[in-house]
Amino acid sequence: MEKVDVIVVGGGLAGLSAAYGLAAEGLEVILIERGDYSGAKNVTGGRLYVSPIRNMYPELWEDAPFERPVTREFITLMGEGNSTTIEFAADKFAAQPYQSYTVLRATFDLWLSEQVMEKGGMVIVKQRVDDLIKEGDKVIGIRAGEDEIGADITIIAEGVLGLVANKAGLRELPSWKDHAVGFKETLELPKEVIDNRWHLAPDEGAAHLFMGGVTKGMLGGGFLYTNKESISLGIVLGMKDAKERVDKIDIYTLLDDFKANPTIAPLVADGELVEYSAHVISEAGLSGIPQLWGDGYLMTGDAAGLALNQLYTVRGMDFAVASGYYAAQAIIEGKKQNDLDAVGPAYEKMMKESWVLKDFETAKNILHFIENPRIFSHYPNAVGRLFDRVFTLNDQPTDSIYTKVMSSVKKDFMNVTTAKELLGMRKI
Amino acid sequence: MKIIVPVKTNPDLQMVRIKNRQPVLEAVPYILGDLDKNAVEAALQLQAEAGDTQVIALTLNQGNRKIKDTMKEALAMGADEAYIVTDDALVDTDQAGKALAIAKAIETIGGADVIIFGEGSHDGYSGQVGPRVAELLGVPEIGFARKLTPGGPGIQAERSMGDFIEVLEAPLPIVITVASEINEPRIPTLMNIMKAGKKPSTDWTLADLGLEAADVAPKNKILSNLAEEQDRKNIMLEGDVNAQVAALIDALTREGVLEA
Ligand SMILES: Cc1cc2nc3c(=O)[nH]c(=O)nc-3n(C[C@H](O)[C@H](O)[C@H](O)COP(=O)(O)OP(=O)(O)OC[C@H]3O[C@@H](n4cnc5c(N)ncnc54)[C@H](O)[C@@H]3O)c2cc1C
Repeated sequence: MEKVDVIVVGGGLAGLSAAYGLAAEGLEVILIERGDYSGAKNVTGGRLYVSPIRNMYPELWEDAPFERPVTREFITLMGEGNSTTIEFAADKFAAQPYQSYTVLRATFDLWLSEQVMEKGGMVIVKQRVDDLIKEGDKVIGIRAGEDEIGADITIIAEGVLGLVANKAGLRELPSWKDHAVGFKETLELPKEVIDNRWHLAPDEGAAHLFMGGVTKGMLGGGFLYTNKESISLGIVLGMKDAKERVDKIDIYTLLDDFKANPTIAPLVADGELVEYSAHVISEAGLSGIPQLWGDGYLMTGDAAGLALNQLYTVRGMDFAVASGYYAAQAIIEGKKQNDLDAVGPAYEKMMKESWVLKDFETAKNILHFIENPRIFSHYPNAVGRLFDRVFTLNDQPTDSIYTKVMSSVKKDFMNVTTAKELLGMRKI
Repeated sequence: MKIIVPVKTNPDLQMVRIKNRQPVLEAVPYILGDLDKNAVEAALQLQAEAGDTQVIALTLNQGNRKIKDTMKEALAMGADEAYIVTDDALVDTDQAGKALAIAKAIETIGGADVIIFGEGSHDGYSGQVGPRVAELLGVPEIGFARKLTPGGPGIQAERSMGDFIEVLEAPLPIVITVASEINEPRIPTLMNIMKAGKKPSTDWTLADLGLEAADVAPKNKILSNLAEEQDRKNIMLEGDVNAQVAALIDALTREGVLEA
């Protein structure tokens, strides 16, 4: 059996990041991706937080094919018959170094795979890893079709479904109940139209999130990210909630309803549909992270459950890059010390001591918090009702502003349930 | 025997979008077309039957910045060696220019016994380059072969003529274009992909072939290249389901799609 230093299963951001780090140090690494090329099938919402990963591969981000830096944040609460939008801009977000960028994976992952090859890593596409080869409990390589290749360490970066790891008995199949489904459209619009619709200076970008009516009150939300000459528009929906709460809604009609909503319609008007995609995201948080390593292998990215719903954003790409980076660092060190047994523990230690697993720790109660249906139905409507009263004037004597606000607040916010929910918020 | 397979790398047509009736080629990866893979496969099968045969893949780089990777597909399928001619003058050349460059490259390689082309290129599909190369090299040509066997004075080829099948024998050297039905191109295995990186690949420019930019300057000019436009009828049917179904049947009948 032919043997190399490291085999990487899967060429998304996690796998590519690991392969890049290893190739840059001169290790013999082979990455195997089943898609036509890296990025061909990879789905994301669209926002990569670069701040957390900037120092990992500082030379990389300079020339990376980002779409736009996010300089403006929008949050829209969609009530019944109304919507409330908060727009936030801060000077610091509009200045270098930008903390986050919108990205399109087809371009971004393909570019990263080219960087890997430039460093001498081998990226093999259109090949599927069928199984891992084991010797006792130790993973010693992979099988693809008739071919077997051995490796000192196999990095599992196959994404959220975890089929390869499961088949080899390394982890349970993730439960659908802990997952959300995301579907998205990429709509092409001229640069200037995007600038105008989101109040952007040229080359600056917006992140726009939607809660409430967009999911018909189900756990989840809508997102809209501005790319250079397109927008990524999508919905993320908790599967358990979707099944339990509103069994009758065909979830794929949500996106059309969303686009037809009077608040959204003018934002997406004339957008030409150029791509449709759908994908699964882990919402299990900390509890969805399996054992990060075992004899002969490391798990990274979505394959290791490293995606996080932080309510105002879904993160996963930064975790994917970071876990790939730490996996590479651990292997490089193990090779140097000629101690491969130390690789797994070293990887786990780096992940635990860095922001990666700490952020999961911090967010561990968010999931419980957002399982509360009121967040996606009551509050978006309550806020809408409040402003509805404030702004309404008719042929009846009008109430004072104070009365208007207080009656709304009393009715919708000053109750035991909301008080409890406020207390609950301290945990997130 | 020495077999040269001139192949073309072209934008992955599945990834090309049409905007304002023009293809959007930006960021579209290049691939080896299926018709070119038929030619490579035919060469490999001949090699397997004839034994002691060398298969060389040859390409002109027409703006594919990752041509080496694309050519690895031919090497991974089993070709022994690759030659890549890169020159700015080749980007906008026409079939005559391409044929000249390919013929010169074949001569520079030292000639070949069999030169196999696909039936046409995956994108332009003019089907001209093979016959033109035969003319330039002064060797016979068999077009649209659907079966090849070594034998007779050199090679036997079958062509489908619709009602009957023509079987031809020809001495070598010869140029052959193969019809897409001739074979199902093999999908390279992981091992062969890994080995492909280690196979020899030679880079040339036009100067290496003794040519200048002027020699391949296009003799014809493309005035426009537009996607076909289809007029839709854009009929909206109104009313309840029954009325809509009746109206639809009526409309389809009037179009002659349904029989009254
Ligand atoms: C709708 C949606 C919105 C999101 N929004 C954001 C966001 O805005 N910001 C953010 O940071 N994160 C976001 N995420 C999460 C983020 O996209 C993921 O966490 C990230 O893509 C994970 O990268 P990965 O490399 O681990 O997995 P993937 O990108 O899924 O890559 C896995 C790769 O492995 C390959 N593969 C699988 N099995 C095999 C096999 N057997 N053999 C060979 N190859 C194989 C696949 O083809 C794939 O290319 C979002 C996710 C979704 C679905």
